[in-house]
Amino acid sequence: MALQLKRDYLNQKVLERLSTLELHARLPMIGSVSGKHRSPIRGSSLEFAEYRKYVPGDDTRRLDWRAYARNDRYYIKEFEADTNLRLCLIVDTSGSMGFAQNGMSKLDYARRIGGTLAYIAALQGDAVGLYCSGTEFHREIPPKRSATHLSTVLDELGTVEPSGETGLAESLHEIAERVPQRAMVVIISDLFIDPEVVRNCFEHLRFRKHDVAVFHLIEQNELDFEFDRPMRFVDMEGGEPVLADPTIIGVQYRRALEDYLESMNEVIRSTEIDYHRVCIHEDFGDVLAKFLLGRTPKKV
Amino acid sequence: MNFLQPLTLIALPLVLLPVIIHLINQQRHRTVPWAAMMFLMTAKRMSKGMARIRHILILLMRVLAIAALIFAISRPLSGGWLGSIGFAKPDVTMILLDRSASMEAQDLQAGESKRSTALKRLAHLLEQGDYGTHLILIDSATGRMQKVDSPKALLSLPMTEASATSANIPSMLETTLTYLKANNTGRADIWICSDLRENDWAVDSGRWEAITEEFAQLEGVNHFLLAYSETASSNLSVRVENVQRWQQGNNAELLLDVIVRSEGNNTAIQRVPIAFEVNKVSSVVEVELDVLGASIQGHRIPIDGTLTSGWGSVGLPGDANPLDNRFFFVFSEPPIRQSVIVSDDAKIGEAFRRALAIPTDNRLQHQTDVISVNKAGEIDWENTGLLIWQAALPTGVVAEQIQNFVNSGRVVIFFPPNQHAGGRFFDSQWNDWQTAEEQPYKISWWRGDADLLAHVESGNALPLNDLRFFKYRAFESTGTTLARFDDDAPLLSRVNSDRGAVYFCSTLPTAQYSSLERDGVVFYVALQRALAEGTYVLMDASQRIAAPDSLADREQWKTVAPEENASSLSERGLHAGVYQDETYWAAVNRSTIEDTAKAALVETVDALFEGLSYRRIDVEVGDTSALANELWRIFLIGMIIALIVEAVLSLPGKKVESSS
Repeated sequence: MALQLKRDYLNQKVLERLSTLELHARLPMIGSVSGKHRSPIRGSSLEFAEYRKYVPGDDTRRLDWRAYARNDRYYIKEFEADTNLRLCLIVDTSGSMGFAQNGMSKLDYARRIGGTLAYIAALQGDAVGLYCSGTEFHREIPPKRSATHLSTVLDELGTVEPSGETGLAESLHEIAERVPQRAMVVIISDLFIDPEVVRNCFEHLRFRKHDVAVFHLIEQNELDFEFDRPMRFVDMEGGEPVLADPTIIGVQYRRALEDYLESMNEVIRSTEIDYHRVCIHEDFGDVLAKFLLGRTPKKV
Repeated sequence: MNFLQPLTLIALPLVLLPVIIHLINQQRHRTVPWAAMMFLMTAKRMSKGMARIRHILILLMRVLAIAALIFAISRPLSGGWLGSIGFAKPDVTMILLDRSASMEAQDLQAGESKRSTALKRLAHLLEQGDYGTHLILIDSATGRMQKVDSPKALLSLPMTEASATSANIPSMLETTLTYLKANNTGRADIWICSDLRENDWAVDSGRWEAITEEFAQLEGVNHFLLAYSETASSNLSVRVENVQRWQQGNNAELLLDVIVRSEGNNTAIQRVPIAFEVNKVSSVVEVELDVLGASIQGHRIPIDGTLTSGWGSVGLPGDANPLDNRFFFVFSEPPIRQSVIVSDDAKIGEAFRRALAIPTDNRLQHQTDVISVNKAGEIDWENTGLLIWQAALPTGVVAEQIQNFVNSGRVVIFFPPNQHAGGRFFDSQWNDWQTAEEQPYKISWWRGDADLLAHVESGNALPLNDLRFFKYRAFESTGTTLARFDDDAPLLSRVNSDRGAVYFCSTLPTAQYSSLERDGVVFYVALQRALAEGTYVLMDASQRIAAPDSLADREQWKTVAPEENASSLSERGLHAGVYQDETYWAAVNRSTIEDTAKAALVETVDALFEGLSYRRIDVEVGDTSALANELWRIFLIGMIIALIVEAVLSLPGKKVESSS
């Protein structure tokens, strides 16, 4: 029962709705088993990839004798290889992710996004891993394909609590280095970090040939900043509280936020990652549907 | 600035309400957990400059909005001149209205005179404000005080209507002083409405010093002068200087000396029609005017030989001041110029007789009798115009008769008796004879602008310098000296009297005493002038100057002209017109000075009120706009503007889009 409770962030209706969609990687993945994702290594699928000249040592069974008969040259016929992917879910669990509106915190929303994605990935045979990033990694579950592993990931998602300062930048750099092969890295965070720092992280991940997707979670109140009286703002990540009159500094706050979002857009443009700015009052099913559809390869 | 509801200003501290609310708000903050601290910190850093100014502006706008609302409710009045009044209401408001003829100068477009404009504006102002428990009017024409029920009543009172009189502002202020002292009033507002004519203000009078001193001793008295100092750009006035009726056989005619004065900046020569009306018969003469005007001497108007007395008028076309466009005159047959010489010295009596018996005009009839002192009781007082008394000063019945003679407007000249001086009469008495030892006495000074020794019409002085005096009898008198010897002793004095004229001359005309008879011009002219003045009252018609007592000598006056606006009984004598009492005619007109006086310099008038609470409000004729307007609309608009600015400043910045 307790386990059931920990997974109540998964919504059966959303899962059913999204069951017709598949999670596709934008980049070729190197998996351990056959799967639904393109591999950089030629394989034995039915989908023709290319011809290449024969070199000694090639498997003679893959020679195209018809081509030899036509032009008296040896060509090896290569086919695409389909493989599985490693989905690395990186969930920001810093104190700021506990910011809630209407009872739902950003971390709750991150659970729904991450849990649903993990479920979809596991369902199509991909390996799923989870990295919870607070001040430091306080939970790290490497990607695996087993059903019990999914259970572990989902349970962990259900039990993780927000606390401490954010250490997302360090975590991302560490993951970029630690994940040995190409993987799909999905970051779910409010990204309250300097955009230049974020840029470095994304570029590092891209350099390691990871397919990076970001769900940037924002709470509507943080955008509007509408208060009618002076407030004492307590830093959820443990910093000094600030006494301020929103009627005085509201304009400046919004300007600072706008500058930040503009900088973030610039970072996204330059790093070409799959970026989704999500306000947590949005229906997460719609957000995921948009995400998955955006990744579905277009048929030629 | 003045306020109709000054008590509302007690709420002024409420303007601090926004500041207080702001401070309270600062104290009752809520605590909220917050994630996006990085933007908050950036905003805090940015808000130290313009944002703080913006917030101060918002607070300021709120303060201004409340202040404007309070001021609007307190109903402020415009007019910087009201600023010195303060918020206190007067206990009494006194209006000193100049009703002189010059106050009828009009704005031709508005059709409003200075007087009516002043009244309307003042009534409107007092209607708006609080004029205290008493509103008192002192009009220049009567000089009397009258309590007025309400400011609106000012517009319909007979005491505020136009008059042909002159004003006496110092006298009006003295009346005001008397009232304020007698009633121990507290704060008093004195409103003076005047066109600042020099003759009305008598700025050189010594009375002003005393008036200023006495006002300075009163506390809470504010003087306001509604000054219509602007003179008309172009105005003509007409006046009849002299009217004579002559008859030859069955034919009679009037001889008129008419003066048309031009005021303003008329430089071009213009032709003006002058309308004469006598016995309801009109005639028009066109006169060419120069810069100063024109003078018509001896204009003849034939009349019916049987018309021995009557009236007429001279009129000008309408211009800036309608009141000086018509002048009334009356005429009658010239009376016999009868004089009596009382002297026991036959030679001296004959000298007087010769000078008085020769008429200045052949058409005049002169009758001169020389009688001795003991026959003084036989004098025909009724028909005599001039009495020459060369004897000891009279006593008893004769003295009483002479007193009545003077009071009826006749003239007496006392010459020194040879022997017994007599007692005291008319506050004067004879002293000892003085004889010139080596050189005869000469005249060192005489008054040439008026009275018996005035210069002739051509402007030339009488030859008094040619006269020599060998003996004179000094006299003591409270009268005004008209001529003085070189040893400073008076030759001729005029004793002050309400009517008529009393002169004392210190020498005799015969050669033993002086060269008066030998150099007879001065002697003849002076006596003829005295005779003309004395017999003037014997005429059946008289020209009078508009004044409260101008018709006081008779009771049965009927208004003959103008018929269209016959004045009430109490106002008779104040308005130009013709009045008749049985066979006696009187024409009342404005005084000469009303046509000629200039406006006093405003600085000179201001100086008269130095040391007093005084404000001059310069106004233009015809301008009936309110002296003080309510300004609440402006404050209400100000409040709305302040609220709009506050709203604009308080607008939140544009919302940040949530999606990328």
